[in-house]
Amino acid sequence: MTSPRPTPSDLTSTPLLTHEVGSLDKLGWRVKAVAGKDLEERDVDEARAWGGRAGVDGFEELIDLLRRAPLRSKEDKDQVKRWSSRYGLRMEESAGLDVVYDGEQQRTEMYQWAVAHSNGFEWRGSVRAFDNKYYSKAAVVGPISLKEPYHDEEFAFLKSVARAELKVPITGAYTIADWSFDERSNGGQDLTKPHATRTAARKDARHEFVLDVARNMIRPNVEALIALGAKWIQIDEPGGSTEPDELDLFAQSFNESVDGLDAVFSTHLCFSDYDLFFPGIEAMTACRQFAVGFANYDSRDLGISDAARPGYQVIRKFRDLSYRPSLGLGVLDIHTDFIEPPELVRDRILYAVDVFGDPGRIQITPDCGLRTRSWDVAHRKLVNMVEGTRLAKARLGLS
Amino acid sequence: MDVITYQHGIYPRSEEVVAATRGLERGRTTREEVDRAFAADRADFIRTQREAGLDYFSDGLLTWQDIFRPFVEVCEGLDAHALVRWFDNNSFFRAPEITGELSLSASVPGEMEDDGDLPGPKMATIPSPYLLSRAAQSDEDRNTLMRDLTREILRPVSQELVARGYRLLHMQEPWLVYFGMESEDWDDFEKAVGELREATEGATLVLHTYFGDAGPWADRLRRLPVDAVGIDFVETDPEELGTGWSGGLLAGVLDGRRSVVEPVEPVVGFARRIAEMAGPSRLIVSSNAELELLPRDIARRKVAVLGEAAARLKEELA
Repeated sequence: MTSPRPTPSDLTSTPLLTHEVGSLDKLGWRVKAVAGKDLEERDVDEARAWGGRAGVDGFEELIDLLRRAPLRSKEDKDQVKRWSSRYGLRMEESAGLDVVYDGEQQRTEMYQWAVAHSNGFEWRGSVRAFDNKYYSKAAVVGPISLKEPYHDEEFAFLKSVARAELKVPITGAYTIADWSFDERSNGGQDLTKPHATRTAARKDARHEFVLDVARNMIRPNVEALIALGAKWIQIDEPGGSTEPDELDLFAQSFNESVDGLDAVFSTHLCFSDYDLFFPGIEAMTACRQFAVGFANYDSRDLGISDAARPGYQVIRKFRDLSYRPSLGLGVLDIHTDFIEPPELVRDRILYAVDVFGDPGRIQITPDCGLRTRSWDVAHRKLVNMVEGTRLAKARLGLS
Repeated sequence: MDVITYQHGIYPRSEEVVAATRGLERGRTTREEVDRAFAADRADFIRTQREAGLDYFSDGLLTWQDIFRPFVEVCEGLDAHALVRWFDNNSFFRAPEITGELSLSASVPGEMEDDGDLPGPKMATIPSPYLLSRAAQSDEDRNTLMRDLTREILRPVSQELVARGYRLLHMQEPWLVYFGMESEDWDDFEKAVGELREATEGATLVLHTYFGDAGPWADRLRRLPVDAVGIDFVETDPEELGTGWSGGLLAGVLDGRRSVVEPVEPVVGFARRIAEMAGPSRLIVSSNAELELLPRDIARRKVAVLGEAAARLKEELA
């Protein structure tokens, strides 16, 4: 007799559950085939190698498809995208993660994908995020609505092939608004108006824009996913702390996106001064888990003292939230090829469990999506994350 | 009143450079193709400034990865890893990290070395001592660090830039008005700025505050030993500046973070009102912040507005 599948609330309170956070790099064969380009032999070799390494059933079918590149038909390209999803899923499953997704292999990029499937926006061009990393930035120019629920097809497919539990990542309202220009309201830029009037107009417009995205873009999308059987939806908000004086708006947009809907909702925050989130996120009572990147700020030394774990000092604030969400503890730095040894992962976990005093409120994740790393590095990092979690469980008597 | 205009800071990259640099990282483009794309952008920005009639020419800092990186790369004892948000923007910099004794390995950063194509008069943008010392990662006392960074990096580089013919140095200083400054830090800051003043004799030195309200700091700012102080008038109410601004004033009137391109007429009216209220000896008309956070084509249109507005103001305020 098999044990019953966990309920959604079990998922976010299972001690030291391991899960992914976001996107993986897209392999060369996926990028080139979908772009209708020729493939090199090394691209095909890579598809074959990862098919074997990740345990992708029937990957020879993909190899046959890639041999026909350049691909012209939409059907062929869609097939390649679905194969890429299978690869992402199996890559994470083969690393031993408890909860997986596909590394967002069918999406273009977390912001671009959402905006491209919505009405009310126009593209304005590329803006740099850092170094040689850029994103396409759009402006809102009219009423916002969904062209179509934009994760349905992807989720339905993944649900049909996943072996592990799924968590659906979806870009949040605040981030989408924050990463867009607002051209609907120009009151804030009208230099003929007094300063106070311009400032108030900007604030009002911002409020209206963020909540418009929450109500008319994110919420209907979430409702569609739940109708398809999604149990756990992670609202990604990398832009969440961009404007510290708007954290009430950030919290309100999260609640407006999910309040009263029948699933478990978590959020992902990264690369911020996390102190800024407090007390703002005390109002995010619908959030059952905060998945937060810490490893980027931490030492690589072993140890479970405060001094050994400088990147994790802020977790006390998450612990003290009155609605007792769990913490998705980022233990892998996604900005470096350094492969965290299992012992380092273990110590980061043990430190967090000690601070929280409850392993049921700690789950284990990378800092963020591993898109900036090669699959080889990403996989080795994830394998060590799982192994480090095993070591921590053993130390805690949870095995 | 003397009216001038220029475009400071990092200028956005074209879609061609975006594609080339992205391609290089993914092994799909060669270094030569990237260099060609950057060269085309540089030529385009020089042309844009010339067509707009700007008074000083910048290279647009197009190859800079952030405002600190060229200084990190030219200085032993500095490194840069951790990504940190650039104030309240979806943009990040790698925080300079103090790893040892500071020592320049060249007289100017590599990015500033090859400037033969830049028409005169030339201007350069550098981080302000306060910004650099606060953005850096170090356990050292921040004011001691500010003095060290000024003495070992900013002063010699500034001096060399002036020796190479740069006529204006623009110091970026968002930290002061975004996070504030403790009263006990002002003396050290003034000394650091004073050191740069000494090193740039004969050139115009501007300290530009932005991303925050300069009103609460106006009295101290106007006493700094610089030729002009820059104010972000998206964030600052002109009424807060007071009258009798005896030095120069850089009026940041075009919004470097919003995509709507301002019409010329209100910009002229707004800048005129600031000039009449504050009464500076010199009015510099510019954007409130660098234009890097805009797509290139929008930035280019803003530079054109800047030139047109400044031309009008030169006539009206002559």
